[in-house]
Amino acid sequence: MTKAVLAVVGAIVAFGVRGWTGPAVVFVVVVLSAWTAGVLRRMAPFALATLPLVVSILVVNTFLYPNAHDAIATVGPFSPTWTGATAAAQATLRVVAFGLSAALFALTTPVDDLLVELERRGLGRRGSFVVGSALGAVPRTLERAREVADAQRARGMDTEGGLWRRFRGLVPLIGPVLFGALAEVEERTMALEARAFTAPGRRTILRSLPDSGWQRAGRWLLLIGSLAAVAVTLATPVRLP
Amino acid sequence: MGLLKRWIARQFTTRVIVLMPVAIAINIVLGYTVQSVLKLPIYVDSIGTILVGCVAGPLPGAATGILSNLIWQYAPGIGPGSQIGPFAVTAGVIGFMAGIWGYLGVFRSRPASGLRLIVPVAIAIAIIVLLAARMYTIPQYSDPGMGYPGWVNVAIVAIGAAASISVALFVFLRRDAGGAWVAVAGAVTGIVAAIVSAPIAAVVYGGVTGSGTDVIVAALRQGGADVYNASLGQGLLSDPIDKTITSFLVFLILAGASSRFLARFPLGDRLISPGASDAGATDGN
Amino acid sequence: MNAGLVLVGASYRYAGASKLTLRSVDLRLDPGRVVGVVGPNESGKSTLCLVVTGLAPGVIGGRLQGSVGLDGVELTAMRPHELAQQCGLLFQNAASQLSNMAATVFEEIAFGPCNLGLPAAEVVERVWWALQTVGLEELASRDPARLSGGQGQLVALASVLALRPRYLLLDEPTSELDPAGTEFVAAALERIVQETGAGILLVEHKTDVLARIADEVVVLDHGAVVLSGSAAVVLADPRLAQLGVEPPGRVRVERAVRAAGLGWSAELAEAVE
Repeated sequence: MTKAVLAVVGAIVAFGVRGWTGPAVVFVVVVLSAWTAGVLRRMAPFALATLPLVVSILVVNTFLYPNAHDAIATVGPFSPTWTGATAAAQATLRVVAFGLSAALFALTTPVDDLLVELERRGLGRRGSFVVGSALGAVPRTLERAREVADAQRARGMDTEGGLWRRFRGLVPLIGPVLFGALAEVEERTMALEARAFTAPGRRTILRSLPDSGWQRAGRWLLLIGSLAAVAVTLATPVRLP
Repeated sequence: MGLLKRWIARQFTTRVIVLMPVAIAINIVLGYTVQSVLKLPIYVDSIGTILVGCVAGPLPGAATGILSNLIWQYAPGIGPGSQIGPFAVTAGVIGFMAGIWGYLGVFRSRPASGLRLIVPVAIAIAIIVLLAARMYTIPQYSDPGMGYPGWVNVAIVAIGAAASISVALFVFLRRDAGGAWVAVAGAVTGIVAAIVSAPIAAVVYGGVTGSGTDVIVAALRQGGADVYNASLGQGLLSDPIDKTITSFLVFLILAGASSRFLARFPLGDRLISPGASDAGATDGN
Repeated sequence: MNAGLVLVGASYRYAGASKLTLRSVDLRLDPGRVVGVVGPNESGKSTLCLVVTGLAPGVIGGRLQGSVGLDGVELTAMRPHELAQQCGLLFQNAASQLSNMAATVFEEIAFGPCNLGLPAAEVVERVWWALQTVGLEELASRDPARLSGGQGQLVALASVLALRPRYLLLDEPTSELDPAGTEFVAAALERIVQETGAGILLVEHKTDVLARIADEVVVLDHGAVVLSGSAAVVLADPRLAQLGVEPPGRVRVERAVRAAGLGWSAELAEAVE
């Protein structure tokens, strides 16, 4: 639960505290935590995946930032501006900090424990079923999509080539995946009812997750602190770098 | 208060609870696949959201959308690094609107022919033209001080024309007047989605999203638009198309589902046209 | 006191279907008895299971005529979670019964009792009992999504048992199992009847299993009961083959021996068993 709050706080601070300080702090904290948790290397693909977005941010904003006139240089029709570059860098830092904090959360939190915690705190059996079942359903559906795609490819449809061909290759893929997924809804509904899913009252929780007073206090502190930080930067003329 | 709780409970039946994870998975898998194959600003990543919305109601639809985004962002191993979390708000709005369309029976099949086909199509085209004209004349697009380039107007006209023709074709070929209303619903949803997304994109991501549509954003800025308006402009051009296509897909799915499947959903009775055939229903063994 | 699960003139039509899937079925299931159901494909066997557990029409809609009662109370008057504790249903497709929320087989089996809000100690006790009854103790910490077909079916069976239902309905439970597994399930079912006194309704293609554990057998064809009676009599009835049901091994051997003109005796029957 603490990790979830950390992730939320990371997001709030990264985006809420304008300027450099917020995202920089988050970035440093995240990288340090990842290093101590030993997952720094596994964060690499997450960082790389933000590359297209980062490139786009940098290019579009540096060159085309509205109402910016402090050009760095002028190369033909292109005039990148300092204002644009600054804004771009800040946005990049925000995005990377947020993305990495989300990645850290994803890499270090066992899903089952999190679901149990959420259920205990009021998400309810239906909420935890939806989230847990969705997490399991995504790889399954992806697998089924791959199977259908392979079968189509064996029959001559292709997913490379020109736009029209790709489109034609895609259409017969959507149908079977969708209907296959929907077909099990009826049976699963019956199965859930047959296992007393709709019984009233609180569900018995078998897992016990230790939660110390320190963790609880720490969570509240983080949450309030981050919201306060955002409020301060928004309200006061104090401008952090 | 009791009435509200009952309204909420009515939308979240066991069947809906079972459908939601499936819809979330469809959102993520199709959204990822279609995007990487077509490389167009057509995501189809809200197909599950709209489906849940129109069979179950606004709240399940919104929940499906929000959860899809959060799970895609935060869950391990699913498209690492996709930066879609903050757009959960938009997804929630899309799902909520789909629920409203569901209540209004927009997604119901309306088999018809002849004049009864022409009238809805005419109305739908009129609405599309109206919306396009409205977009044509909004200050952001036409005020030279704001400076959107002229090609934007051409683009709007082209899109409007293409949309009208596609809708008409669809309705006539399938002899289903419902297509007209679905098109309008999709377009409206797309416009609202664009309006909701623009500030998120502008504030959070500096106005770009890392996908191909950033070219449009760049071009709009080149024409002089500021960060927010560039995002809004891009959204208004691509979102209505994506949401209309998605809505049509949902419409086709619903048409292909048996009435037995739909009947037990909260909004099922609004989806089943009188005298519907039981295509797909088996008699079991 | 009319105990037992009783169907009187039960007819059922799926929502939106034009034909009746079950026609005027009379059936009686008493605690401690095993009733087998056989019939060709599409004869309504699975639908019968759904009707007997109240899932049809309770959860999936459709129209039920006639009476389906448990100890004198109509099933339609009971809530789904109450029914779940009285009648446990094992579906044909074990994979769709998984809750997909459990990380281990143990938690999967505990899903039902946890839903009921039973105290944790009782949940654990029930789960272990169910695991032992189906012989899956070593699998308790495995991932339920990664089991073989047969194992999955046994886990589903254990999950149903954990609810301690008074009546157990199984729709082709041995379809994914090899002969050893089939034998195992048959023995487990016998044990269950003895230990808990549950009444079992067993839909099976493998008539050998029914010959072994069923007290009565009912034959369905096109949704109607065409034959019913004690297991030995019904399974030896020559009309079974016409209905696409293969008689148990003993019956086939007996017929072959008689057809060859040789004599048949009680000792031979014993030896074949």
